[in-house]
Amino acid sequence: MSRYLTGMKARIIGAFLVAALLHLIGTVLIPGYSAPFAIRALLVIAALLAVASVGQTLVVILGGIDLSIPFIIGFANVTAAQLYGQGWHFGLVCLVVFGLAILIGALNGALSRGLNIHPLIVTLGIGMIVQGLVLIWTKGFPTGSAPKAVSSFVSIGGSFGPLPVPALIPALLVMTLLIVLVLERTPWGRRLYALGANPGAAPYALINPLWVWTSTFAASAFFAALAGILLLGFTGSAYGDVGQPYLFQTIAAVVVGGAALVGGRGSYIGTLAGVLVLTEINTLLIGLNFSPASVQAAFGAIILLLVSLYGRERHFRTTV
Amino acid sequence: MRVLGRYTFAIAILVVLLVANLVMNPARFHPAAWGTLLGMAAPLIGAALASTPVILAGRGGIDISVGPVMALVSAVVIKVLYLDHGLSSPLILWPAALLIGALIGAFNGFMAVIVRVQPIVATLGTYLILGGLTLTILPAPVGPAPDWLKAMAGGWSFLPLGVIGLLWWGLSRTPFHDQLMAVGSDDRAAYTAGVPVSLVRFLAYVITGMLAAAAGMMLTALIGSADPKVGANYTLIAIAAVALGGVSLAGGKGGLLGAAIGAFDIFLLQSLLTAFNVSTYVLQVAYGAILVTAVVLIAFQDRGTKRSHA
Repeated sequence: MSRYLTGMKARIIGAFLVAALLHLIGTVLIPGYSAPFAIRALLVIAALLAVASVGQTLVVILGGIDLSIPFIIGFANVTAAQLYGQGWHFGLVCLVVFGLAILIGALNGALSRGLNIHPLIVTLGIGMIVQGLVLIWTKGFPTGSAPKAVSSFVSIGGSFGPLPVPALIPALLVMTLLIVLVLERTPWGRRLYALGANPGAAPYALINPLWVWTSTFAASAFFAALAGILLLGFTGSAYGDVGQPYLFQTIAAVVVGGAALVGGRGSYIGTLAGVLVLTEINTLLIGLNFSPASVQAAFGAIILLLVSLYGRERHFRTTV
Repeated sequence: MRVLGRYTFAIAILVVLLVANLVMNPARFHPAAWGTLLGMAAPLIGAALASTPVILAGRGGIDISVGPVMALVSAVVIKVLYLDHGLSSPLILWPAALLIGALIGAFNGFMAVIVRVQPIVATLGTYLILGGLTLTILPAPVGPAPDWLKAMAGGWSFLPLGVIGLLWWGLSRTPFHDQLMAVGSDDRAAYTAGVPVSLVRFLAYVITGMLAAAAGMMLTALIGSADPKVGANYTLIAIAAVALGGVSLAGGKGGLLGAAIGAFDIFLLQSLLTAFNVSTYVLQVAYGAILVTAVVLIAFQDRGTKRSHA
């Protein structure tokens, strides 16, 4: 057990070190890379990815995967703008968006676990339905905007009291603390790890797999919807495909952060490290004036390199 | 018979959609147009066939780089070999395409089996690298494709799919197929029984790469040119087709025939809704709904089988 912990900790510390190293390289190579505004922009972009990756972290600990995250992000983004634009009170808008997202997520989890279908297919199918329905509703041209409060909450130029960062950053830190507490110190969190580590044995410990899967996927959809609303504030207008880059980025962040897609291993702190690494790579490559095509290719190569350095799986032989 | 059982739902949809299409759109489904029709369905069928071997090999096996491989093959064959170097013979272009596919498959297999990176992440890395590479080689669509290749989307569209079918049929007579299914169902049991698990999985990735390259050729034939943006979209819809065709994403259950039927179902659905003139938005809801319904029904069917065996 202690060896496993050191292994996990080493992965997370390794990921943070890689992020720091990338930042150092950027500071040396690119003038203004560490300028206050640049760092604020980097933090906000990373924070948005961090919010989108909460759900992926939770379902990956469980041994699942959630491909509906980008579709839920788009759904929340468009629905919130549309309803707010129609004059709804923003509190009510959030209630409706989060409520629907939680129902969609719960359906994902219940179908996957209850009928033993691979969550990749269930979440992809449900995600496609959700996106299609939103497109039909808005006829492909969503309107509306975000309330000022949300925009200033995520604005790169914003400040929070004496801090020169928008309120999103301290809010993310509080959220991180809560997530770590829930995962480490509550029965629900421990059940998540237990079920992910050994789905066969967990029911003997009186863990109800169906409930854990349903609640976890519901939580995942909730955080995706949150990311969608924050993105609405960030970009200013609604866009149904705003979540698409987050499909693979959330998975990459979780894995670079040391989680195993087979379940039972992972932590949100690790995901944060992964998010920082990905954001640094992206910023660095764009700052070095690579063409978008080469940024993409280099991004893929670096993910492969990092994961082969410290994200390797055990040989199945050792599990016999 | 039990194998056929997994296909029941896909075949049922196939029959219903085929009848509906025949009624709605008789000209398009006239026997004289079957070649063109199959040519239109071929890229998706090819992508679904390509996605299958690694999924059958189990333990999270999946290859999301199938779509980008299709785009890269198209770009290299048309832009680099045909237009830049004037090589037009199928005897050069087909082997070149298959070689590209096999090399990428071998790289994916190396990452997933030997380096032991989780397959979805390993192939995600390849997905991004290939996407960038394709855009660098071919920033904008170019054409045309050689005439013999364009004919493969018309009267000759049966040829590539037929050859793949024959080869797979041949392969399924060899011990490799049994080993693949054994590895996919329970790799630990297969390992203790002396199956070379890692080698079998590695070969599954190589086969997937070569099939993806073939699908890339079919895509090039259909659009008659090379387009860097079209290929990548096939990845997820191909995996959906595979699941629709009764292939278990947990591995070890299903086959290429099911994947092909699943892909043809999606094509027929697309064709039917286009005949009704509905928007692509409705099409997307229909894709998702059919996919979820199919996997739910297959799951119920699996439960029934398990109970009757217990």
